[in-house]
Amino acid sequence: MDDAVNLSEEELVLSTLEPDQLAEAKKQRLPRRRLRRSELLVLWFLRIYLLFMVAVVIYQAWTGTH
Amino acid sequence: MQGLAVITHEDIDRAHDRARVQAARLHRTWLSRLRLLWLLVGPGILVMLGENDGPSMLSYAATGARFGIGFFLPFIILTFAMAIIVQEMTVRLGAATHRGHAELIFERFGPFWGWFSMVDLGIGNFLTLITEFIAIRAGLGFFGVPPWAAVLASLALLYTALMTHRYWTWERITLAIAAFNLVFVPVALLTQPNWHSVGHALTSWTPLPKMNEDTLLIVLADIGATVTPWMLFFQQSATVDKGMTKRDVGFGRLDTVVGAALAAAAAVATVIATTPLFIHHMSTQHFQAAEFAQALQPLIGRFGASLFALGIVEAGMVACVTISISSAYAFGEVAARPHSLNLPVRQGKAFYSVVFLWAALAAAIVLIPGLPLVYVVLIVNVIAVLAMPPALVFLFMLANDRELMGDVVSPLWANALATAVVIFLVGAGVLFGISVVAPGLLAALGK
Repeated sequence: MDDAVNLSEEELVLSTLEPDQLAEAKKQRLPRRRLRRSELLVLWFLRIYLLFMVAVVIYQAWTGTH
Repeated sequence: MQGLAVITHEDIDRAHDRARVQAARLHRTWLSRLRLLWLLVGPGILVMLGENDGPSMLSYAATGARFGIGFFLPFIILTFAMAIIVQEMTVRLGAATHRGHAELIFERFGPFWGWFSMVDLGIGNFLTLITEFIAIRAGLGFFGVPPWAAVLASLALLYTALMTHRYWTWERITLAIAAFNLVFVPVALLTQPNWHSVGHALTSWTPLPKMNEDTLLIVLADIGATVTPWMLFFQQSATVDKGMTKRDVGFGRLDTVVGAALAAAAAVATVIATTPLFIHHMSTQHFQAAEFAQALQPLIGRFGASLFALGIVEAGMVACVTISISSAYAFGEVAARPHSLNLPVRQGKAFYSVVFLWAALAAAIVLIPGLPLVYVVLIVNVIAVLAMPPALVFLFMLANDRELMGDVVSPLWANALATAVVIFLVGAGVLFGISVVAPGLLAALGK
């Protein structure tokens, strides 16, 4: 507990915040989720889409400024 | 278990805010409901008015000046409806998990996908931040303020707002400044718009613009003016920082809808305000914000033009604050460092350093002479649209994660709407790609 925290403040925090709202509780990591094949497919498709479209934007910016 | 709890300064500040919410909930009167609303609004209004930023207002101004009143009025309202669908999910996620968006992506999907989304966010945020300083510089330039002074003044305001070290105070100060976004409404009224044309456009989506590369650039810029990745990260983290819980989700939704309505009103007003430039066939292709104000001056007077320029300054200023903080939240979540606006400087050195340095670097770039500022602004909005579908898929998967969400998991209707938004954004991006790579094909499609 921080030095500046007195008992009434501790009571206030524990009565108003949900346990997982405490800053300390957020240090606990959540378990990893296993991605399904279909989800991976969508993620890779969108990643490639983004890279391709960024190349298009760069090309457009280059032609636009020249 | 309670005796073992470690309590921080951040927790105490948040507990004081929550105590006021709990006290307001004790009564069932209209007045206490209004007080509850007042206490719980914030992230939604801020994110929507924050997204009505410098490049967005410039996109809306360019829309009115190039196309007048027509298809784009209802189209802009549609984009805000999409923003509500997307942002509502972040409210539920933040309230259910009490964790930020970046944190959830890293922990649930692993660092490989986490870093991809962080790189998207980092690049997008930095480019957007540059455009906010461009807007501030251009807006204050209308009043003769030199660029260096405009940039320094905006940095000083950003740092002052953060020095409160209190989420609640920061939120209220920023909300007060953001309300100034509505200044575009009186500017629109000063142009004495043709209300019959406005009503006709809103109900019929006509006249339609010609389908070509320029039109698609404006379409994408207008979408990018409303739905962008930083909004997801900001609203979820702000919902967490505010301490909202599942019980507050209804108010969070209302906050988002009110924010979207206010922002849509300002956006539509901006299109209407610059429509006289379209009617008078003025070439506005390379206009910056200040030039829009100057061009409007003969039509709406010095007062109206000054309001327009001030509106652009406000738009850039609020977005500077929200986007810098969105980056700092994401950094803190990924680096597992304290990340809250309730942190004193001593405990939040990393968090505040990201805000300060990020903004200072973007501000410095704006002072480089000869930068093609207008082009940068439009391109930044386009990049935001292109980066949105991957970000939305992560959001969609998290909001459907029953283990995280419990009883606020996405219902079928929310999933159907979110899927429609992703398909719409990918479709718009593909059309834009075709317009650049094969403009002939687009012309054939348009026939």
